[in-house]
Amino acid sequence: MALKGFHMIHADQLVKWFGPTRAVGGLTFSIPKGQVVGFLGPNGAGKSTTLRILTGYLPPTSGSASIAGHDVLKASEAARATIGYLPESTPLYPEMRVEEYLDYRGKLLDMTRPDRVRRIGEVCDRCGLSHIRRRLIGQLSKGNRQRVGLAQALLHEPAVLFLDEPTAGLDPDQITHFRELIAELRKKHTILLSSHILAEIEKTVDRVLILKEGELVADGAPDELCGRVVGGSRVLVDVQAQADALSAALRQVTGVSEVQTTPHDGWCHAEVTPEGDKDLRQSLVKAVTDKGWPIREVTRRKANLEDYYLQLFREPGDAPAAATA
Amino acid sequence: MPHVLTIAKRELTSLFFSPIAYVVLGLFGLSTVLLFLRVSFYPGAPAEMRGVFSSVAVLMIFLVPAISMRLLSEEYRSGTIEPLMTLPISDTQVVLGKWLGAMGFLLSLLAPLIVLAGVLAFNADPDLGPIVTGVLGLLLVGGLYLAIGTFASATTQNQIIAFIVTIFIILALTYLSSYLAQNDWLYDWVKQGLFYLNIYEQYADFAKGLIDLGRVVFFVSGIGLFLFFATLTLQSRRWR
Repeated sequence: MALKGFHMIHADQLVKWFGPTRAVGGLTFSIPKGQVVGFLGPNGAGKSTTLRILTGYLPPTSGSASIAGHDVLKASEAARATIGYLPESTPLYPEMRVEEYLDYRGKLLDMTRPDRVRRIGEVCDRCGLSHIRRRLIGQLSKGNRQRVGLAQALLHEPAVLFLDEPTAGLDPDQITHFRELIAELRKKHTILLSSHILAEIEKTVDRVLILKEGELVADGAPDELCGRVVGGSRVLVDVQAQADALSAALRQVTGVSEVQTTPHDGWCHAEVTPEGDKDLRQSLVKAVTDKGWPIREVTRRKANLEDYYLQLFREPGDAPAAATA
Repeated sequence: MPHVLTIAKRELTSLFFSPIAYVVLGLFGLSTVLLFLRVSFYPGAPAEMRGVFSSVAVLMIFLVPAISMRLLSEEYRSGTIEPLMTLPISDTQVVLGKWLGAMGFLLSLLAPLIVLAGVLAFNADPDLGPIVTGVLGLLLVGGLYLAIGTFASATTQNQIIAFIVTIFIILALTYLSSYLAQNDWLYDWVKQGLFYLNIYEQYADFAKGLIDLGRVVFFVSGIGLFLFFATLTLQSRRWR
């Protein structure tokens, strides 16, 4: 119980059934103050359902959850007072103007008038809405609607932010902007965001939770998870030499576990897998230059989150099927 | 309470953004003027609005549900219910705010009646008492219809279904109850109960110029009951 106070978000054995379908199955995790956590998983893995339980919109079938120590069922209003929430697909009232909507939310959040005026100005600035404050929400583009949703979630400076697919509908420039925004917010807020853009998550978050069929299958920092990829980092070299000779020479280097070569117009491309996660670039270059072969490229490719994600979700039957094809 | 007013104000504003509001306002205004000319405003007619008011009460059965049908259904359909219900406000506040916003619209709907009463007072010398109580009674009747509509709207994300369910409940509480009460084979207490539930019976005194506390209690408790049902229905969405 003492631990609960320390964690801003705490989920304990959360289970959610929709009729005969199990959306979430026994989810347990804790998120300390100030951490930015990414929620990953394929469609239907239970990300949105979990967020809906944590925000007090849906009750869990069993298990419990608390936000800043307030139980989402027993002290629902207190829990809801500490959160900001951007729901999936950003539902907004199309007939309201941007600032009108933000003011409406502010009133329902018990903000005083001077507070509302100040904060609406701030969030509009931050989310790039200042020039469209007087526009009707129904006339905004998807990206701008998304920003209104984000502004709404930030309005009362909540301790905990839940963002469901915050980058959906944003263009690349806006996504960069969003990443900067999260970097700014991480000082003050605890953030749980879901996304299916893996590269985005990898750059933004401190920690990743991966869901599969409603269960937690991975939990760790992005780097740590990347380290779990089988055959994690590889070194790619491009050398002017015979494939067989190159392959033999590279295998001599200590620490090399596997070499794959592909010859192409006089040059030979080799992909070297080290034992463990060692950086073999120097010793490989030395081995090649000792033979006097010209070399034009050495690259170390580290495994990224996507590699890990694919490793988790690739069906066991996939590989043999591909082999027979 | 400030939350209720905030929600009510938003609801009222957004009602005026929907085309249905103008259809209802137009039809209602036109019909009341025609009724007024036909029933109350010709040489020799008694200088009163009773006939108009009782016709308006019938008209409201079909027009008021068109206002209330979208109250919660639209929030469910568009998903805006999610950011609303994750705010630190209670379900009761949401329901009360919605109903109060619709009541604001009802006021503007009944405004032509005041104008017509003014026209009557300019040309004749009507007794203003029954007109005032009549309008008050219509507000109570409309308020009850809206409470029924709020409940129906809380049950479905389909506005048409909400509309039809509302009309059905209102008809059951007006025509069906008076029709059933005529059956001899019913126990007396059942007949009396049906009689009591009949909205028109409860309204009749207001049109005559009487404000009977019992009648007011009927409408206020009816409104309270249906808004309570609406709150329970809204809450139950949290438990599915």
